[in-house]
Amino acid sequence: MTRMAAVEQNGMGDAAMARARKTEDVVVGDEIVRERLSARLVHWSVALTFFICLFTGLPIWTPYLGFLASLFGGLHVCRVLHPWAGVAFAAASLLMFAQWASQMLLTRADREFITPRGMLKYFQYRNEDADIGKYNGGQKMLFWAAALGALGLLLSGIVMWLPQPVFGQWLRQVSYILHDTAFSLFFAMIIGHIYLGTAAEPGTFRSIVRGTVTKSWARLHHPRWYRDVTGEQPRS
Amino acid sequence: MSYQDALEVRQSSASAWGSKTELRNLKVVSKLIDTSTCIGCKACEVACQEWNDLHIVPTTQTGTYQTMPSLDANYWNLIQFREREIGPDFAWLLRKDGCMHCGDPGCLKACPAPGAIVQYQNGIVDVNPDNCIGCKMCETGCPFDIPRYSDQTGKMAKCTLCVDRGQVGLEPACVKSCPTGCLEFGDKTDLVARANIRVEQLRQNGFPQAALYDPPGVGGTTVITVLAHGDHPEWYGLPKDPHVPDGVRFWKNIARPLGALAIAGAFFSMVGHYLSFGPKKPKEGAETPKGEERG
Repeated sequence: MTRMAAVEQNGMGDAAMARARKTEDVVVGDEIVRERLSARLVHWSVALTFFICLFTGLPIWTPYLGFLASLFGGLHVCRVLHPWAGVAFAAASLLMFAQWASQMLLTRADREFITPRGMLKYFQYRNEDADIGKYNGGQKMLFWAAALGALGLLLSGIVMWLPQPVFGQWLRQVSYILHDTAFSLFFAMIIGHIYLGTAAEPGTFRSIVRGTVTKSWARLHHPRWYRDVTGEQPRS
Repeated sequence: MSYQDALEVRQSSASAWGSKTELRNLKVVSKLIDTSTCIGCKACEVACQEWNDLHIVPTTQTGTYQTMPSLDANYWNLIQFREREIGPDFAWLLRKDGCMHCGDPGCLKACPAPGAIVQYQNGIVDVNPDNCIGCKMCETGCPFDIPRYSDQTGKMAKCTLCVDRGQVGLEPACVKSCPTGCLEFGDKTDLVARANIRVEQLRQNGFPQAALYDPPGVGGTTVITVLAHGDHPEWYGLPKDPHVPDGVRFWKNIARPLGALAIAGAFFSMVGHYLSFGPKKPKEGAETPKGEERG
């Protein structure tokens, strides 16, 4: 569809965003639709519940971050909110898993990407010729790690939630260690995720807000996906 | 003994300044339980319920003289009845179950709420309900299975060693009510000396294994127990070598700092990456379609 045609169809609205409500991987003018509305909603419900869990959990994690409890009305409120926010986070994560799992299977190029050498090339911006599809190997690993982390946090959280006689002292000790470790790694990973999605790679954040990216962004970061969507041949 | 200082805090849970807040070196109190002279009359249970105004909760008959199957948020002091054949003899092993007020309290170590569990200068470990958030982590920290969660209050409860009575120079309610004198309250040094005399008596009267239970693994306990079969504290339901559970120590001392390091590491590597590489951009001279700058 041409840009003009899309504008006509959508009246005063944004043509690309209109297409991004239900479709993905289509070109609209200078943009390519990357994430449809439902995908973006699921992503942001995971993010929102994650941050509620994070900010209600951090003051319980260490007294140095006790001031965060004031955001919710005190540590007592955090203690009540945290497990329920955790259930919401697990539910949102399940939706996200169902939505993206099939697109996150690793290809041979992805396996190359996630080797230490591949990651170094990626972070040094030296991977321009890489055979990268809609999601790169790092994004796919983030997806699987997030799914595994959410599962670990949910299971250990349930054990911590119920009184000791239900699961016993040994399992509760294991759960504290697991919950703590899973949280730390998850948060460290999310810091990287937010950095790469905003400051490090300009033009990425709009893909999860507007749902669209520019053609040049797609060619730079996801060359194989760009060729698949536009039908362009790689330039020699 | 100097009871005026009963409420000066020695250690507090989730304190940002380590956990020790000790300034002065004050005397440590103690409660001595001589299980060999306990007759299982349960006067101490009644006194505890009455003084602390605890509601009586329905019990379950388990085929013994024991009042309750185990401690409860509404029942902080329980005489446990155990029957045991020891060689040709039959023994009725009675033990007063309740908070031991450890020198190194696992509950306090595990507690994430600042000031919810405190250890006073005199050795008493107390739950402060105002600060308790009812997360139940202290249950896991306790090597003696003492703290109980109350569904009514959403908080933890356990023996306070009658800290409110101690403050005004009175002995705990259980000690006050004991008819045989098997409970005593006072300065710990004095009571350990008395307990050792009693242990010696028992040793000379057919209980060569008699011992004082004041386990060093938890920094000694404020509540010390004379056991006729001191080589087998587990016969009385007491752990042989109690200490703060390894999992809780690993969690607080190793897993948590390493986790914090991972988070800080991730943050500072990203900052460092941005400062050295900046944002990723298309190569110069690459074809730039319109709308490119909108990102």
